[in-house]
Amino acid sequence: MNPAGPSHRPAGAGLPDAAYLATMAGLDLVGPATLRRLASLGDPAATWELIRTGRVPESVCAARAVAPRSQVERWRRQSETVDPESAWIRLRHLGIGVVALGGDGYPRMLLDDPDPPAVLFTLGDPAVLDQPCVAVVGTRKSTGYGRGVAHDLGRELAAVGVCVVSGLALGIDAAAHAGACEGGAPPAAVVGAGLDRPCPGANLALARRVAALGLVCSEVPPGTRAQPWRFPVRNRVVASLASVVVVVESARTGGSMSTVDHAVARDRTVLAVPGPVGNPASEGCNALIAEGAGVCTGVGDVLAALGLSGLVRATPEDRRETPGGDAATVLDALCWRPESVEFLARETRLDLRAVVRGLDWLERHGWVRRTGGFVQRAAAPPGGPPWSP
Amino acid sequence: MLASVSSAVVVGVEGHGVRVEVHVAGGLPSFSVVGLPDASCREARDRVRAAVLSAGFRFPPERITVNLAPTDLRKHGPCLDLPIALALLVASGQLDADPLVGTGFLGELGLDGSVRPVVGALPLAEVLGSGPLVVPLRNLDEVRLVAPGARGAATLRGVAECLQGESPWPDPEPRRSIGAGGVVGESSAERPSVDLADVQGHPLGRLAIEVAAAGGHHTLLVGPPGAGKTMLAERLVGLLPDLTDQEALEVARVHSAAGPTRPGGPVSDAPAVLSRRPPFRSPHHTASVVALVGGGSRTLRPGEISLATSGVLFMDELGEFPAAHLDALRQPLESGVVDVVRASVSARLPARFLLVGATNPCPCGFAPDPRCRCSPAQIQRYVRRLSGPVLDRFDLRVRIERPDPESLFGGGAAVESTGDVRPRVLGARQVAAGRGVRCNRMLRGDALERHAPLHPDAVDLLRDRVDRGTLSVRGAQRVRAVALTLIDLAGGSPPIGVDDLLLAEHLRIGDVTGGAAP
Repeated sequence: MNPAGPSHRPAGAGLPDAAYLATMAGLDLVGPATLRRLASLGDPAATWELIRTGRVPESVCAARAVAPRSQVERWRRQSETVDPESAWIRLRHLGIGVVALGGDGYPRMLLDDPDPPAVLFTLGDPAVLDQPCVAVVGTRKSTGYGRGVAHDLGRELAAVGVCVVSGLALGIDAAAHAGACEGGAPPAAVVGAGLDRPCPGANLALARRVAALGLVCSEVPPGTRAQPWRFPVRNRVVASLASVVVVVESARTGGSMSTVDHAVARDRTVLAVPGPVGNPASEGCNALIAEGAGVCTGVGDVLAALGLSGLVRATPEDRRETPGGDAATVLDALCWRPESVEFLARETRLDLRAVVRGLDWLERHGWVRRTGGFVQRAAAPPGGPPWSP
Repeated sequence: MLASVSSAVVVGVEGHGVRVEVHVAGGLPSFSVVGLPDASCREARDRVRAAVLSAGFRFPPERITVNLAPTDLRKHGPCLDLPIALALLVASGQLDADPLVGTGFLGELGLDGSVRPVVGALPLAEVLGSGPLVVPLRNLDEVRLVAPGARGAATLRGVAECLQGESPWPDPEPRRSIGAGGVVGESSAERPSVDLADVQGHPLGRLAIEVAAAGGHHTLLVGPPGAGKTMLAERLVGLLPDLTDQEALEVARVHSAAGPTRPGGPVSDAPAVLSRRPPFRSPHHTASVVALVGGGSRTLRPGEISLATSGVLFMDELGEFPAAHLDALRQPLESGVVDVVRASVSARLPARFLLVGATNPCPCGFAPDPRCRCSPAQIQRYVRRLSGPVLDRFDLRVRIERPDPESLFGGGAAVESTGDVRPRVLGARQVAAGRGVRCNRMLRGDALERHAPLHPDAVDLLRDRVDRGTLSVRGAQRVRAVALTLIDLAGGSPPIGVDDLLLAEHLRIGDVTGGAAP
């Protein structure tokens, strides 16, 4: 394929700087730091010309296993196959915007970051990040309890105008986004892959919804596939954008812990949702609390940490109808972890019909949730109907 | 000289009449078989020659031509050995032609002149049934189900002597008594060796298989390894009613046609005995599609779903079956038959079975318990095969948990045995028969509307579920049919109340992972 563009056309023919930066972000071995050094060389169009001719100063290259000379050579060879102009047209075609460090629309929260992204690819409106942001993060391997909390937090934070930030991963992230989409204020997602396929297939519909209501952004150009090492890098952006980071569920060594590390390094407030002892999905959160992180038991704690306590509504009284008869017996036998109907029948010494009848009453009145043959207690709704997973 | 004898070959589960013609005339000595014989059929030449000599006859040193008519039907199997040999003896003037006229012959020959049993004797005899019939002695029991006057043959020499009236036909004692209607009356007390009384705990699982047996509802058992899914499925077949004469004959026909070599099928010594008990088939998930639905390259053999007809098809580890296998089951599940079509032959095989599936909720089996170590992606991949159309075929989807140790070792409270539950099942089936269907699963559309009226509260409940999206419209109808079965089992009568509907709803969980898949 002959790249007719770059070799025969004078550099900088009307293309915005962001187009060059976006192209550079797609080169091999270019991370945020390298991209910032490339950007600091001056006019991006001129820098692209340096890359194309293999004359990039070696000081730009990171001290890593690849020798600077071969890295520069690699960029030069790669630059023959890409063309900033067609890449820019493709971005425009996909509806993807590019904001560059120091340019218009760049999120303010990232400006004083020690390791800010040089460019952000955006789907949606970057201005949503000007609102106070709260990151709601957690494990993919979540429990119904965690997803319920994340969903409620997302919805209630969005309802008071907070931008809920998360990573569009399965589990907690998805529940938080889904809740935020119901809440009102625009949500935001930071993903680790290119925006053409930002997340696991199961979440694509959710991703479109988040982009339509708020913002989905990424540090890497479209076409970049999700690779394990990109997620901790992405997590630093999540931590940096948010004023408060809430960890809903995390294993002791989960990916959310890297978000916490980045948040601590950036002086952000970290809150953790306490969980059942013995549940691996809550071990990380409980350990964070032991280490001194704030406790998040509801939206009030998050708003207090944001300094928006004025928005906290008084704890609503539990307006659920008090169960009686078999329903009360069944509820008494139920703990805060999923149980089978057989277990309840055994504990209550009721027959299956009575248990199922009691559960139906309890479910209709918001006391329990049922999934796949299991039953779990539900927390009192903060108002409005109880959500179903 | 020319001679001809009637016989038959089996295609699918049906016999097709074949006319065996033998021509013996001068020329260079040779022995050829024409008329689309396959390899096993063409090999008859060598067996027939050796058997004729062993039986003390002369093998004519002339040009022998065997024609198998109709010539456009592919002949498979060795059941034409005996007719070829007899026709050869007649054509070479060693046997009188008259006794053979109008008589059908079946049998494989050994080199020593003995007559060996054949696969598919029952459907073969059915097609030849109008006249006298001579079959291998060991096939006599099953053949007499449809042809009471059939004769048994032990050796080629014996057949020749009997035909010429030199000795009487052997008349062995039937191994089973023949009841009214020509069907072997097997005592319905003959139970499988497993009994529901062995199952401790599992109130929900026991209820599920009782409902499945009573209403004919396809059932999916979901649970961790070792919970007892297989144990429950094996006991389901004991709850089913005895087969009717017609069903028993159909089952015998299919098993006869499938032959003795199939695992779990009848052993070679006693091919296709007629049983009143519904069959139980449990194919492994590595079985091929053809082994499952029937077919084959040279001949059409019934597959596992046909062998399970009128009985239970148990698919353990349903999630491990390739998607193509599960898709292949969809049409038979709807229509009760499977049409196997090949370029040269086609056959309609019965496939009216009760499907029982068992699966783990995730690869490790423990979801949604914290012990589960599967990643969300693994769980999603695992349950994706079971989603949508496949899951939709199961009226009952039940979570089977490991029973608590107390019920296993703590004295073991008395539980109902198969003998206790079965009368309820039979009662429910009778009620269903009064509605003009074999079982409540068959109630669709108008019939369901007519026979399963809903209490006004129950209507509200179903409407609420459909509005909330926890049940599809179709799902709501299936829940209704299951609720009707619950009422039948309890000896009640419609309209369907809220309690039955709630219990039926709980017997149809939507998420087989127990909420582990996000």
